[in-house]
Amino acid sequence: MISDRQHPTAVAGAGGGDLPRQSGEGAVRQPRVSLRGIRKTFGSHQALRGVDLDIYPGECLGLVGDNAAGKSTLTKVISGTYIPDDGSISIEGQEVRFSGPADARDRNIEMVFQDLSLCDHVDVVGNLFLGRELTKGPFLDRSRMMTEARAMLDALEIRIPRLSAKVEKLSGGQRQAIAIARAASFNPKVLIMDEPTSALAVAEVEAVLNLINRVKAKGVSVILITHRLQDLFRVCDRIAVMYEGTKVAERDIGKTDLQDLVQLIVGGQKH
Amino acid sequence: MTAYTERAAGSPVADFLSEHAQVLSIAVFFLACLIFFSVTTDTFLTLGNILNVLRQAAPILVVAVAMTLVIITGGIDLSVGSQVALVNAVAAIILAMGYPWPVVAVGMLAFGALLGMAQGWFVAYQGIPAFIVTLAGLSILRGFALYLTQGYSIPIKDVPGFFAIGRGEFLGMPVPALIAILVAVVGYVIIAYTKYGRQVVAVGSNLEAARRVGMPAKWIVASVYMVSGIACALAGLLIAARLGSGSSNAAVGFELQVIAAVVLGGTSLMGGRGSILGTVLGTLTIAVIGNGLILMHISPFFTQIVTGAIILVAIWLNTKIFTTNFRLGGRKA
Repeated sequence: MISDRQHPTAVAGAGGGDLPRQSGEGAVRQPRVSLRGIRKTFGSHQALRGVDLDIYPGECLGLVGDNAAGKSTLTKVISGTYIPDDGSISIEGQEVRFSGPADARDRNIEMVFQDLSLCDHVDVVGNLFLGRELTKGPFLDRSRMMTEARAMLDALEIRIPRLSAKVEKLSGGQRQAIAIARAASFNPKVLIMDEPTSALAVAEVEAVLNLINRVKAKGVSVILITHRLQDLFRVCDRIAVMYEGTKVAERDIGKTDLQDLVQLIVGGQKH
Repeated sequence: MTAYTERAAGSPVADFLSEHAQVLSIAVFFLACLIFFSVTTDTFLTLGNILNVLRQAAPILVVAVAMTLVIITGGIDLSVGSQVALVNAVAAIILAMGYPWPVVAVGMLAFGALLGMAQGWFVAYQGIPAFIVTLAGLSILRGFALYLTQGYSIPIKDVPGFFAIGRGEFLGMPVPALIAILVAVVGYVIIAYTKYGRQVVAVGSNLEAARRVGMPAKWIVASVYMVSGIACALAGLLIAARLGSGSSNAAVGFELQVIAAVVLGGTSLMGGRGSILGTVLGTLTIAVIGNGLILMHISPFFTQIVTGAIILVAIWLNTKIFTTNFRLGGRKA
C-alpha cells in the first residue's frame, strides 16, 4: 500500500551534511550518475536519441541547448519522472532501473521542475514536506513540520511570512523559492534544477547561485539548466550542450566562452 | 541577506475569512433557512421535526462525506445511488435467507468496497474519465439491482437488531443520525489531520506533482472510489433498516442530492479544494429546505423547483460574490 518513506529529520542547513567528495586529477573519478545511450520517444517524436552523460560528485554541470533540445526530458529521466525506452543509468557504479520518481528520491536525487510541481491548494509547509510528511501514526505532525520548515527556509534565507498560507496565494518568485527549498533541504546527492531562476529577481538569483556553490562544496552533484548563460560561468565546472535530442558537445568551463557556447547551441554554424 | 523582504503580516482575521469564505457563506445561508422556516411554520422548530430531518439526511450525509473525498481528487461518482440500491436489495435478499445481520452488514460493507474499487481501477489505472466510468456504473449497478429483485420490494422480517440501525434511538438521538455524525467527524479528521487526507488533496491539486514526489498517486485516486463504495453500502444498510425492506428502486436521484450537497458546501469540482464542514452544512441545508417547504404546505412538485433554484443561487453567490469581486477586509485574495 503506502510505503513509509519518512525522513528522520529535515536538515537545517541547505544540502545537509558533507558527502564524500572525490577530487584530484590523477585518481580515476567515479561518476555519481552515469547515463549511457539514453533514448526516449514520445509518439513519433524522438525526444532523446542516445545520450551519454556523466555527473561527478561536487561538481555543477550546466546543461544548455536550444528550445526542445531535450534538456528537460534528460533531467526527468535522471529523476525517475520519465522511464527511458533504452539505455542505462548507473549510480555510483551500480546500474539501476527506476520504476518511478519514488525510486530516484530514495536515492537522494532531487529535482526542481520547470513548472515547479507545487500543489496550489496545500500550504507552504505541506508543499515543502510533500511526499515525506512527518507523521505520528497516521496523523500529520504539523507542529514539527512547521518548525522544521521555518528552519529550512531560514537556512536558504527565504522569507515567507505565513507558512500556513496556500501556495496559490504566493508570488511566482516565492513559489520558485519553495520548489528550490524542497529539493535542496533533504540531503540531496544529486540536485537537478530546471530553470530555477526564471521567475526570480536579481537578488534571488544571487541567492540561488550561492546555494549551488554551497552545496557543491558539500559534495552534491548539481545539474543546472538555464538560458542565462552568464550564470553558468559563475557556478558550473562543465557544460554539456544538447541539440535535437543528442549531446553535441561537452566543455570544461575554463576552456570555453560565451561565443563558443552560443555557436554550439545554435548548431555549430560559423557566423 | 535580502532575498525576500517581509511586509507587514495580514490580519489573521482577514486571512481566516478569506480562506473559509465558502464555508462561512453556506453557514450563513443555512442559518437564514433555519430562521426563515422557524418563523413561517409552527412545527419546524420542534424536537420531533428536527430529529426527523436528521434521520432522513443521514444516508445523504454519509455518502456526501465520501463524495467530498472523490470530488477533492477532481473526480466524481455518479453511481452512488445505484450502489445504494444494489446494496439495499442484496442485503434484503441475504437477510431473507436467514443469515445473521452483523455478518450481512460487514459483508455488505466489503461488497461496497469491491464495487467502488472496481470503478476506481478503471478511473485510476486505465485512465478513463470518472464521469464515464461511474455513469456506466450508474446503469450497470441499478440494472443488477432490478434484475436480482425483478423490480419487487423485498421485505426484511424479524431482525430487530438490524432495524435498530435505522429506527433506533440512543441518548435521544436517532441511530442513523449518530452514525452519520460519526462518519462526518472521521471524514473531517482524515482530510484535515492525516497523511492520507494530505495525499488526497495533493492528488486533486496537482496529480503530476504528487506523482513526482513519490506518492502512490494512482492508488490514492482508486482508493477514494473504494471509500465511496463503503459509504454507499453503509447508506444502503441505513435505508434498508429504516424502511424494513430492500428495493431496487431505492435512492433514485440520490447521486444528484449528494453532489448538490457537496458542491453547495464549497468543494470545487475542479479538485484540490474541499471541506467536510461545508459538506455537512450543504447536506443539512438541502434537507432543511425540503422539510421546510413541505411544512409550509407548498406543493411537493413545486418543492423540486425551489430546491433546484436555491442550489443554483447559493452556488452562484459562492462563486461570484465570495471569490471574484468580494474581498474581505479589502485584502486582495
